[in-house]
Amino acid sequence: MPVHTPLSLSLLTTVLLGLPFVGFLALAVASRRVSALLASLITGLGLGLSIVLALHVPDQPLTIQAAWANLSGTLFSASFRLDSLSALMLVLVHFVALLVQIYSVAYLHDEPRLRRYFAYLQLFVGAMLGIVLAGNLLVMYAFWELVGLASYLLIGFYAERPAASKAAKKAFLMNRVGDAGFLIGIFLTYYFFRTLDFSAFNTAGAGVTLPTVLGLCLFMGCMGKSAQFPLLTWLPDAMEGPTPVSALLHAATMVAAGIFLLARIHPLLSPDALVVVALIGTITTVWGGYSALFQTDIKKVLAFSTVSQLGLMVAAMGTGNVSGAMFHLLTHAFFKAGLFLSAGAVIHAVHTQDMRHMGGLRQALPITFWSYTLCAAALAGVPFLSGFLSKEAILGGAFDWANQQTSGLASIIPILLLLSSGLTMLYMARQWRLVFFGNYRNRHISLEQTHEPDWLMRGPMVVLAVLSIGFWFSINPLSVHGSWFFCVLPATSESHFWWLAPVSIGLIAVGGWAGFRMKDPRTETLAVRLSLEYGFLDVLFQHLVINPTQKLANLLSRADRRLVDGAVNKLGVSLVVLAYIVRTLDRLVIDGIVNGAAWLASLLGQMTRSVQNGRVQSYITVTVVGLVLVLWWLLY
Amino acid sequence: MILSLLIFLPLLGALVIALLPESQVIQFRWIAFVITLAEVMLSVVAYREFNQAIDDYQLVEQVNWITLPLGNLGIVSIDYLLGIDGISLPLVILSAVVMLIGVGASWTMTHRLRAYYSLYLLLTGTVMGCFVALDFFLFFLFFEFMLLPMYFLIGLWGGPRREYASIKFFLYTLFGSLLILLVMIGLSLSVMDPVSTAITAGLIPDPSAVTDELMRSIQSALQSGQLNSAQIVHTFTMRYLSDSNNYLPNALLNPASQLIVWGFSARQLAFWAIFIGFAIKLPIVPLHTWLPEAHVEAPTPVSVVLAGVLLKIGGYGFLRIAWDFFPDGAVNYTQILAGLGVLSIVYGGLNALAQADLKKMIAYSSVSHMGFVLLGIASLTAEGINGAIYQMVSHGVLSAMLFLIAGVVYDRTHDRRIDSYRGLMKPMPRYTTLTAIAFFASLGLPGFSGFVGELFTLMGSFQSRWLAGWLTVVATTGVLLAAAYFLWTLQRMFFGPYWSRHEATTVLTDLTAREKLMLIPLAVLALLLGLFPNLIFNLTNATVTQWLLKFSVE
Repeated sequence: MPVHTPLSLSLLTTVLLGLPFVGFLALAVASRRVSALLASLITGLGLGLSIVLALHVPDQPLTIQAAWANLSGTLFSASFRLDSLSALMLVLVHFVALLVQIYSVAYLHDEPRLRRYFAYLQLFVGAMLGIVLAGNLLVMYAFWELVGLASYLLIGFYAERPAASKAAKKAFLMNRVGDAGFLIGIFLTYYFFRTLDFSAFNTAGAGVTLPTVLGLCLFMGCMGKSAQFPLLTWLPDAMEGPTPVSALLHAATMVAAGIFLLARIHPLLSPDALVVVALIGTITTVWGGYSALFQTDIKKVLAFSTVSQLGLMVAAMGTGNVSGAMFHLLTHAFFKAGLFLSAGAVIHAVHTQDMRHMGGLRQALPITFWSYTLCAAALAGVPFLSGFLSKEAILGGAFDWANQQTSGLASIIPILLLLSSGLTMLYMARQWRLVFFGNYRNRHISLEQTHEPDWLMRGPMVVLAVLSIGFWFSINPLSVHGSWFFCVLPATSESHFWWLAPVSIGLIAVGGWAGFRMKDPRTETLAVRLSLEYGFLDVLFQHLVINPTQKLANLLSRADRRLVDGAVNKLGVSLVVLAYIVRTLDRLVIDGIVNGAAWLASLLGQMTRSVQNGRVQSYITVTVVGLVLVLWWLLY
Repeated sequence: MILSLLIFLPLLGALVIALLPESQVIQFRWIAFVITLAEVMLSVVAYREFNQAIDDYQLVEQVNWITLPLGNLGIVSIDYLLGIDGISLPLVILSAVVMLIGVGASWTMTHRLRAYYSLYLLLTGTVMGCFVALDFFLFFLFFEFMLLPMYFLIGLWGGPRREYASIKFFLYTLFGSLLILLVMIGLSLSVMDPVSTAITAGLIPDPSAVTDELMRSIQSALQSGQLNSAQIVHTFTMRYLSDSNNYLPNALLNPASQLIVWGFSARQLAFWAIFIGFAIKLPIVPLHTWLPEAHVEAPTPVSVVLAGVLLKIGGYGFLRIAWDFFPDGAVNYTQILAGLGVLSIVYGGLNALAQADLKKMIAYSSVSHMGFVLLGIASLTAEGINGAIYQMVSHGVLSAMLFLIAGVVYDRTHDRRIDSYRGLMKPMPRYTTLTAIAFFASLGLPGFSGFVGELFTLMGSFQSRWLAGWLTVVATTGVLLAAAYFLWTLQRMFFGPYWSRHEATTVLTDLTAREKLMLIPLAVLALLLGLFPNLIFNLTNATVTQWLLKFSVE
């Protein structure tokens, strides 16, 4: 059977989606020794399948449907959809997941619960595939939540550490806040369109004024998963999970889901909603960038850089630039995964995550150094690297959008985005210096003891670093126009700003110079604390949401016991009291009346005794009179 | 025949156990096991016999039970009338399964076994009776009789405050059934049985001769006052009670009745009386305070049955009686009713968050989850009603699982306080896995049944033309709260470094084979229902469509 018939494509897609779940179950029974191999094989197979699918993506989206819930006439189906957007994501997810799993084999060499780890990873991949292949909002929501579960399990993988289980809970709950909005958004969508199918949305928006609130509710889902302001504080805490998990979570799964959602629901976003999306994205970019600036934990810097980049993608979506955002998602996936894997190699070598105890690792870890450098430069948007291209696509689209807006204020958004790319260079250069330059500052492990990791770890790092080079994405590495990517996803804006590349290069140069030279202040000024505590968002969240909820819960619990149940008990007690009163009354009054009646009777008896005087005549008289009286009463 | 067997097999079992000599004590649990297993099989037979396309009562059994001539007031007739439809069948199957699991949970019971098992089987029979009875009087009989075994099961085998809890449970429910009784009498006086009336009036020789036309003519004769009141047969049959054409023209509860008491029409009052009666059972805030007490004091199997089955009678009563007999009242007060549902969801959720006792936490989560049932029913949409029935089944499975889980740790240490444990994952890995599954399934993780029930009740309430959108928005926070209290408990009790208040005295062992045998099938069931919700919806669809017709006109 030729591979491109719709039937065989559907079959392949189904198999592809099923694979990780089979893997999850298989790992539950497999032995520890083969678990890593099994997991990598499954994901490798999935990668092969998804490449085949990507090469045969039909022009018309392929849909696979099965009845799921039939409610008195309304049918909700489990529907899946394969188009170029999902094919792209399929390859990306599998590719990064495969590299991460290979890396994990060496990184988690001594982990006793390796089987469980790989099983969770399979679940994570499977859930992400479900999101990517979802054909309607309901299916997407289902897998969306499953991604939440998988991330909960992986972030809390070291569950015996209180911080890890706390971080896992926080991630899940914060995501749920977004998901609650997402769910309402789904209800609204269903209410307005009577359908949840993505294929219907492109035409659904036409001619109807889209309710802004619908788009914003759906966007809340993205805010949770993609760590947008203000739901971003779970992401830095999620660093409690094993480092390879962070690589996966920050690159191709989880946080990418929110961006992907926006790409799918883009037709449902009203112009006003788009402005809000752009605004939230921009705030997140700046917020994340500033928070990364003074962090001392190597992974936290990367975490906030992810927040910042996600903000950039969301802002791109808000400015109507779907392909630009997806392009950045793709390039970001490679260099961010590369950065996390390289950071893992550093942590592996020096056994600490604190950058104040690193430094001068350039010579000791040359391969790590170079892959880190390439990925970091790509993240910062240095020319000739992939990040430069995708940032140019986003910034160009943003300026284009601002020109079309009626309000001049709109240009604030692209300007802030542009400035934040300088900010990115600033904190990455600082990190680069702290880790690889200067004096080695670790007292526990000497510089001679540090060593490059196993080849199983080095390989994925190098591959990802190489893929961060711009050449792979565009023949002309200084211009994004003409990239193959826009043949897959057509670009929304074609306009070109000649000054954009020079200005951003200038900004990057300034940022790099300043970042490399900057000295961390010794005292914790407000500016530093603002960065370290990411704008006190966590504190605010604690005081404005968590504490009041808990107080309310405790208050209600007391009220429930004292007032509600108290009322019931009081009712019971008062009934008992009433019963006693009635008993007393019964004894005194009713019984008293009876006794009184008896007493009265005997009194009367005393009085009438004189009538019974033994004289027959008077008896007869009384009898006759009585009889007459009775007869009279009866007859009249 | 199947439905009668469902009722009388356990009753017979109860009798057998009561009569067997004490030397056979070890056999009692096996007898109970075999009988509840047979109940499951019978319910499967009923499932297979049930035609999903038919929207009427099926497997009907009808015997005239009591006929009481009241002279000029007419004739009162009570039928032994059983039958199932899409609303009751899922609950019958659920009850059979939960009752079987309950016997498994009773396996470690040690004292007064004869009384325990015969009361348990008595409860099984009466619960089944509640779900299959189609005569209001018969239903009420079972409904009342259920109280007796439940009272003793909590009062004799419960925890330290068992007397208080069981009396409270008893009085609460009794109060509710008193209200139901009043309405039941009122209804019976107001409604005629058109078929029997036609027979007594000499219009037809026997029930087989009934035609639609005849029904209509006798109903119009009733409405125009042409029927001699001595010939009217008063009935408790639910089918007739739910048809407004059968109401006597001047009757108290006739929809056209002008009687106003305290500003309410008699029918509105009757609706509220019935509503309160069943709302106590469900339970709905603020009539819920018997529930945490009863659960905390009840032994594990009784908690399992209480949450898994008995609460559902409340929701079933709404659908079968309150809403069906008084659609006018239900429509009139949808906003308030849905508001009460939302109140239960949020109030129960917040209370669950504040509990220090694992079992109490689960009990309040039940209050919250039952709120979804009321919200779905009040929405009067296909999504909402189907979702509400689904939610009842789902909660039956999941709450059974949750109470078993609370029982596991209680069995080992006799301490259910959440802060008495940390890091249980280490000594009890399997227990932790199953707890995590139960918690995630209950907090509405897609793939498990909890999600489907919440999704469709919320969706129904949002689509409902009777309800304001913000009600659904507020209810959605209940989903959020569920995640909070379950995950917080998981984090506090199961994760982190291991510590237990009873470290010195008790070694915490992982699940036994018996415990696994109960928990794993329930988990699989929750998963199956979550993946294939049509397993339930195929049963409920036709009935719900028919049921909703009544509300589409008004």
